[in-house]
This record gives sequence, structure tokens and C-alpha cells, in this order.
Amino acid sequence: MKNHALDTKRHSKGIKAQINIRFRGWIKRRIPPAREVTLDQRRIFIFPTRVGFFFATCLLVMLLAAINFENNLSYALTFWLATLFIVAILHTYANLAGLTIRALRAEPAFSGQQSKFHLMIKRSKRRDYFSLHLKWPNSSGTLINLLDEDSVIVQIHMAVDSRGWFNPGRLLLESTYPLGLLRCWTLIDLDLYALVYPRARASTDLPGLTTNTPEGAAVVVDGNDDFYGFRSYRKGDSLRQVHWKGMAKRQGPLTKQYTAYADRSVWLDWDMFAGLDTEQRLSHLCYWLLEFDRHGHEYGLRLPTGSIEPALGEKHRDRLLKELALYGEERRSQ
Amino acid sequence: MSMLQQVPRNAFVWIIICLFVLVAPHAARLPIWILALYAVAAIWRLQVHRGNWSCPTRLVKATLVLSGFFGVYATYGTFVGLEPTVALLLIAFALKLIELSYRKDAYVLLFLGYFICITQFLFSQDFLVTLWGLVSVTLLTTALVAIHRTGEQEFRFGTIRVASAMLLQAMPLMIILFFLFPRFGPLWTVPMKNHTAKTGMSDFMKPGDVASLSQSADVAFRVKFDGDIPDKSALYWRGLVFSRIEEGAWSALGFYDLPPNQRRPKEVTISGDPLRYSIIMEPTQQRWLFGLKYARSETQAVIQTSNFLLFSPFPIETDFMYTVNSWTNVVVDDVLSDWRRKTETRLPRTGDARTRKLSVELRAEAGTDEAFVGLVLDKFRREPYVYTLRPDLLSDQDAIDEFLFESMRGFCEHYASAFVFMMRAAGVPARVVAGYQGGEINPINKTVIVHQFDAHAWAEVWLASRGWVRVDPTAAVSPQRIEFGLEEAVESEGSFLSTVLLSPQRYRRIPALNALRLRYDALTYQWQTWVVGFDNERQFDLLRRVFGETTAKAFAVTLLGGLALVMLPFAISLFFTRELHPESRLGKHYRIACKRLAKIGLVRAPGETPSVFAQRAAKVLPDYASQLWQITHLYNQLAYGGAQTPAGNAAQNLQDFARITRRFRPKKQGA
Repeated sequence: MKNHALDTKRHSKGIKAQINIRFRGWIKRRIPPAREVTLDQRRIFIFPTRVGFFFATCLLVMLLAAINFENNLSYALTFWLATLFIVAILHTYANLAGLTIRALRAEPAFSGQQSKFHLMIKRSKRRDYFSLHLKWPNSSGTLINLLDEDSVIVQIHMAVDSRGWFNPGRLLLESTYPLGLLRCWTLIDLDLYALVYPRARASTDLPGLTTNTPEGAAVVVDGNDDFYGFRSYRKGDSLRQVHWKGMAKRQGPLTKQYTAYADRSVWLDWDMFAGLDTEQRLSHLCYWLLEFDRHGHEYGLRLPTGSIEPALGEKHRDRLLKELALYGEERRSQ
Repeated sequence: MSMLQQVPRNAFVWIIICLFVLVAPHAARLPIWILALYAVAAIWRLQVHRGNWSCPTRLVKATLVLSGFFGVYATYGTFVGLEPTVALLLIAFALKLIELSYRKDAYVLLFLGYFICITQFLFSQDFLVTLWGLVSVTLLTTALVAIHRTGEQEFRFGTIRVASAMLLQAMPLMIILFFLFPRFGPLWTVPMKNHTAKTGMSDFMKPGDVASLSQSADVAFRVKFDGDIPDKSALYWRGLVFSRIEEGAWSALGFYDLPPNQRRPKEVTISGDPLRYSIIMEPTQQRWLFGLKYARSETQAVIQTSNFLLFSPFPIETDFMYTVNSWTNVVVDDVLSDWRRKTETRLPRTGDARTRKLSVELRAEAGTDEAFVGLVLDKFRREPYVYTLRPDLLSDQDAIDEFLFESMRGFCEHYASAFVFMMRAAGVPARVVAGYQGGEINPINKTVIVHQFDAHAWAEVWLASRGWVRVDPTAAVSPQRIEFGLEEAVESEGSFLSTVLLSPQRYRRIPALNALRLRYDALTYQWQTWVVGFDNERQFDLLRRVFGETTAKAFAVTLLGGLALVMLPFAISLFFTRELHPESRLGKHYRIACKRLAKIGLVRAPGETPSVFAQRAAKVLPDYASQLWQITHLYNQLAYGGAQTPAGNAAQNLQDFARITRRFRPKKQGA
């Protein structure tokens, strides 16, 4: 008995999943992924909302009243509202038709944090668009109107989970304007990917740290930096170490140097965390990478797939983070 | 999502407007406390709107709802019936407004509003009420649109444009549905109007009743004759027959007052062509109908009584239309049953001794019943009797004596009553008939409009071999009343409609206003026949006239055609909306030019700039070189020109460009 119940449950789940897969396949053929989508009848779906069904029920009651009271103006009003419902199909459709949604960019984020997706909604017809609701499956919704401007840039925050390229799924763009009786919606794949860095996870120490100095001495990274002196600013230096006060005195951009690491570069090595699994290794590497960056070290990265020479600066950091993010993932041009 | 669920402030303003528009047509029917509740609801809402007050707590809401129910019960004594139901709906609307904060509340509120619109039509389907309903629906729809315009935090009048446009687009199909939707009878009995005052005649008449009815300028019914309209003085619209006099008041015999063998109308031999006409009655909440003697109706559910009156089995609650055939010259009741004779000659045992004595004397002097009638009318004619809307107040005892011999001032019911009394005192069967006399002929659509002030009472006397004969003693006293109507008859007195100041009837002497009034009345008649009175018979007629016999197919075609009518104008506006960027139109025209070149073998390579392409093309087509350069030059200027754009506005330039490209029709040239 129990088994049977379980079976049917699994079976129904199977059907559901199958329907889901079928639907995904169908919608992928119908609305293929694209960086820019203009909405037309192929891409817009429409169906009455719950309010619409409630309205229809009200109309039925009104019709009964008209029949029972044999009241012609009640008939007329009921028919008028029913026809209004039909006309609303066109108006609701028109509130999405002709809109163009363009994927602008997605900001990289660390796993577990929120990424920001930038979209542009543009109209091609001179009409007002109201209450356009945009939402990805796991994002918060955004509501926009297109009244005075022809285009609006929308930023949608969304929590990203696993490392690598993150696709937010199909964007839901919906609207029930003008009457709320019908809902028009579209599900579009904007071919937009956010880069997700590994989650930075602290480890108590950095085992087997190697530097590229001949001494090969271990460096204690404790953040106890001693100020050493200035050198002239080089492109790629961390902005945190720019001597802003000096700039204010028109001395030209200078970078502060700290004794402990001033002339030492650190190699962050895949093998430092031998024995841990890939994700943990990447998380620790990410943590240390950020630590070194924060303290203004030059650091390099050695992964089984290749190595990057030590350097400083935001660009360098982002490049390394990308390496970590995409370690073991297939590459795609972004 | 929270933003989605909020009701924008713009919508609040529209909803408050709806509140007052919806309650207005019901206001006269409602107890004052409901109107007060509306004021409170509006003020409360505004204060919440401004942030001064908060929405009511659950306890306050529950208290308000309960007191609403209690108030309705206290006012009407029941929850059954149309009036208490409407009162409850209106209270629900006001209370819902106070607690309105989310969009889902707004939906409930506005759909309730549509419902209230419908109830308004259950009370009146008048043309003006309909216009008001139109306004209400437009405002409700506007509010519905406004709640979806997120972010509109101040009042925007423009919202109404969207709603009106949609409603207008919905009109054609609505009209088609209205005429095609099958009309069947009620599915179950519904609460009726128990609390609306009855209007018009009542089945009980004491002196002064008709006179007070004559102070009203309301329309009682409208008549449309198939042929010519008979003379006004012949238009005696019989409504009620009063056969019983008790304590100075006349009353009609009920169905169960008659012995079983007297309940059915006697057969009447008819001869000649009848007068054919249709009558549309205004609602009276009563059951009697009106018609000329001797009336038969083909309309379903119209009954003929033993007094040859028309009668409806249900109260007339909405405009009611029925058709009548009348034979004015036939003899009705040529043989009088004993019971009938006894009933129609019965008088109170005592009282009015002078009148009784005079009657017996006159009857003896006359010799025949017919001559007796003549003598009594002569008395009214000869002696200084006055026809007046302001008769003296008569005492309870011997009122007829007092009227006939002392005051000598009376309205039609006094004369009819005294006349019948005299007939009966001499043993001649007679009875009082109440109804309307005359009417106003509307020259625009040739209808007879019968007003309440046309109310009249006269007598019927039974004469051997002639049956019941109409005798109108008022005509003897005041021939103008019958010839011209009440207004002329009491002109010197100035008492006509003296209590109703605002009636358009008072201004009928001003030609422009009167023409307007008659035009409106003609419109009302059309409205009543085609919209209010549209029933399955009329529907059947209409369908047969329009489609002939093949209805099923034609039905479908008409419905689909209607749907297309609804969709077409909108679809056009949807697909031909002005494009936003003039650049793209510029590109379109340029592409047209390129396409024409491609047809003769000159295809613009991808990435080839317009100038390079023009150079290449000009070599092949030297004849078109100047045109080619002109197009290319203009295109470059308009598309990329910026500051070098020739003077003039963008639209003008674009038009020029379009014209030039249109004229550009290159033909292949021999190499």
C-alpha cells in the first residue's frame, strides 16, 4: 500500500518533471536565447488572472439578475462588461507588444552574494507602458513604467550560488495593465551570464607559502604592516595604497610601500591545500587572494591548468578571481 | 511585490468619485443614515489618504458591519426584497472603502460597484438613469485602470481616456449581444420592490384623491395608435371600476367579492374594425392596466376582468408594454345579471336624504332612465356648479347633499360620485369609473402622452339594450376639461401644477423648451420600445426581419462580424502606431531605394558605405547619377549629419527624403 503510494508519487513527479522538460524545450524553440528580444505575438502569452475569473463569475451573477428581473438594461450592462473583457485582451497585449529587452551586463559576485544584472527596456511605439513587472525565478521583482522616457535601465539583484558562469534563467516580464483581468507575460532567455567567484573561506594559516625570492623564507601574513616609503604610482597599484594626502599637495601620485612585503611576491599555489577537495581549495585560494590584495602584496597564482605571474592591482585581482571562478569549467566568451 | 499590491493615490481619488456617483441615483430611496455613512466613509478615507487617521481596526470594522445589518433591519423590517438588498450592497461598498488598502480590496470594491450599477436599473430604466449608469461604469472602469497605474501618486484626469476608449471599443459587440442574446423568462422568483411607493390610481377613492393625483406631472403611460389618433374627447382610459360605496368612499370589488359565476367576463359580440394601439406603462407597483372601451389585449399575461378592464397578474415594476384592440361602439353587458343589478344599485342605508328625494323626483319626471340621465346632467349644466382643483372640504355626514346643494364646487370625483349616487337612488344601475382622460399628443412621433394630471373619474350607467354607457358629468360642468384638458379648465384658477415648481410641464408655454421636452419624450418612447421593452417577441420579429429564415448561420456571422467590429479599430491603432525613431523610417526609405537597385542587379555589399555604393552604382547607371548622389547625400546628412543637417525640422526633411526615394525608379541601361 505504502509502496504503491510512493510509486504513484514518484510517477506523478516524473510526469511533472517531464512536462517541465517538455515545456522548457518548447519555449526554447519558441523564444530562443538572445541578447536582445523584441516582443511580438510569438513571444507574448496571455491568460485571465484569478481576478479575471472572479470578474467572470460576477458577470454570470449579473446575467442571472438580468434574466430573473427581465431587465434589459441589466442585460446591456452585463454584455458591455463582458465585451470590455474581450477588448481588454488587446489592451493587455499592447502593453507588452513592441517592447525590446536588451541584456546589458551582469556584475560578477562571490558565491552566496548578490549579483546585479543590468537590462534595458526600450519601446518602439509611442504609447505609454504601465506596470511592467520583471522578475527572474529567484530574484526580487522590479516594477517599471515607460511614460516619458523611451527606455529604462533596470537593475535586478539576484543571489548567485555556485561558482562559474551563472545564468539567471528565463526572465519573466509580465503585466496585467489596464484592467487586471488578464495577464500578459513572456519568458525570455537573455543569454546573460554573471561570473561567480568562489566563496572566500578563511583558513587559519597558509601552508607551504612560497615566494619567488631566493631566500624562500616563509612570510607571516598578520597584517602588521610597517610603512616603508613611497614610490611613484604605477598603473595597476591598489587604490588603497595611493598616497592621497600627497596628491592633495600636488606631489603627483605616489604609492605607499610597506616593509614586510614591499619587494616580495607571493605565489598562491593549488598544492598549498593538498588533501582538500577542489571547491575548498578554490575557496581558500580566493580568501588569501583577497587578503593579499587588501594588503597590497604582489601575488601570483598557480593552478594545475597554468600559472599567472605575480602582480598588483584590481585588474590583476579580477583576472585571478576569474581563473578561480572558471577553474574546471568550460570557457565561454563573455 | 508590495508595490504591485498597493493602490496608487490617483486610484483612491477615482474610487471616491465613484462612491458618490453610485449612491446618487439611489439617494432618494435611501434612509438618511446610509447617506450619512457615505459622508463618513469619504471623510475617513480622505483622512487616511492624508495620513491623519488610520484604517479601522478589526473590532471597529465588525461593529460597523453589524450596525449596518441592524440599521437595514430596523429601517425595512426585513432583509428580503430589493430595497434592503440594495441598501446592504451600498453599505458594503462604503465600508469596504474605509478598509481599502490593497489592490485585491479594490477589485472587490469596484466589482461591487458594477453590481450597484445594475441595481439602479432595477428601479428605473429611464433614459437619464441610463446615462447616469453610463457615467458610473466609465468612472468605475477608470478606477480599475488607475489601480494598475503603479506609481501615480497624484490625481490624473487623463486616466479616464483609457477607460472611455476601451468602453467605446466594447460598444458594438455589446449592442449585437443585446439584440441576439435569447430572452427567456425568470429562472426563479426574485425579491421584488416591496418598499417603493405605489403611484397612480388606487383601488379606493374618496373625494379629493383624484385632485391630489392631478398635482403630479409624471407620465402615467404613452400610447401609440396604429392608425389616426381619435379625438381627445373620446380618449377615456378605463382603469378601475368602483361599484361599492361605503362611508362616502368608493372602492372596487375584488376578485373574491364576486360570486363564482360572475368572475369571468361575459362574451361580447364585436363588429367592425377595432382601434389598434400599444401602451407602455410607467411602473406603478399596481396591477391594473388602462385601455379604451371595449379592450382586448393580445399580450401574454394580460387578463380581462368581468368589468371589461385589463389587468396584470403581477405588479407593474418596470416599464410595461402591451398591445390593445378596442371596439368603442359595441354593447357590453346587454343583459344584466340579478347580482350585478343589485350590486350596482346598492347605496348606504341612510344619509343624503335630500339627494335621494331629488333623484326619485327627477326619475319620475323623466319617465325613462335615459331621460333621467339627461335631466341630471342638465342640472349640472344649468346650475352654478364649479369645476375646481380646490374644492371645499366636505363634512363626513351627508357629504353629497352638502356638495350638491351648498358648496357646488368640486373636482371630477365629486361630480362622478354624486351622479352615480343619484342614479342608484332612483334604481338605475350605475358605477364610478376611474382612469385617465385625454392626453397630450406629441407631434414628433405621434404618441399620446398621458400624465398623472389627466387622471379622471366618470360614470357608467346601465341602460336597457345599450348596456353600460359612459356618462361624464364633468363634461357637463366644464366642457373645456374634456376638450382641452385640465390646464385650460382650471386656467383662471391658476392651480394647475401649482405645487410642482420644477416640472417641465409648467414651461410648456415657452415654445423652445416645449419642443425640447417633446423631443425628449419621443426619445424616451423610442428607448422604451427598443431597449427597455425589448423582449422575445420583438427579438423574434427583429431576427425575422433582418435574417429571414436561415437564422443559425446568420447568427454566427453577425456575432463574428461584431467581434471583428470590436477588434478592428483597435487592431488598426495598435499596428499603425507612429514609430518612435525617425531614423528607422529614414533607413526604411533608403532600403527601398537599395531594393530597386538590387532588382536591376546592383546589390549593396554588406559593409559597403552608401557613398561607395553610390559611386559604384553611378558608373553603371550614368543617367541616374544625379539622383543617386542626391539620395546618398541626403541620407548621409540626415543619418549621420548632426550639425550639417539642412535647416528645417526633422519631419520635413524626412518627408523630402521619402519623396525623392519614391520617385527614384532606376531602369537597366545597356552597357
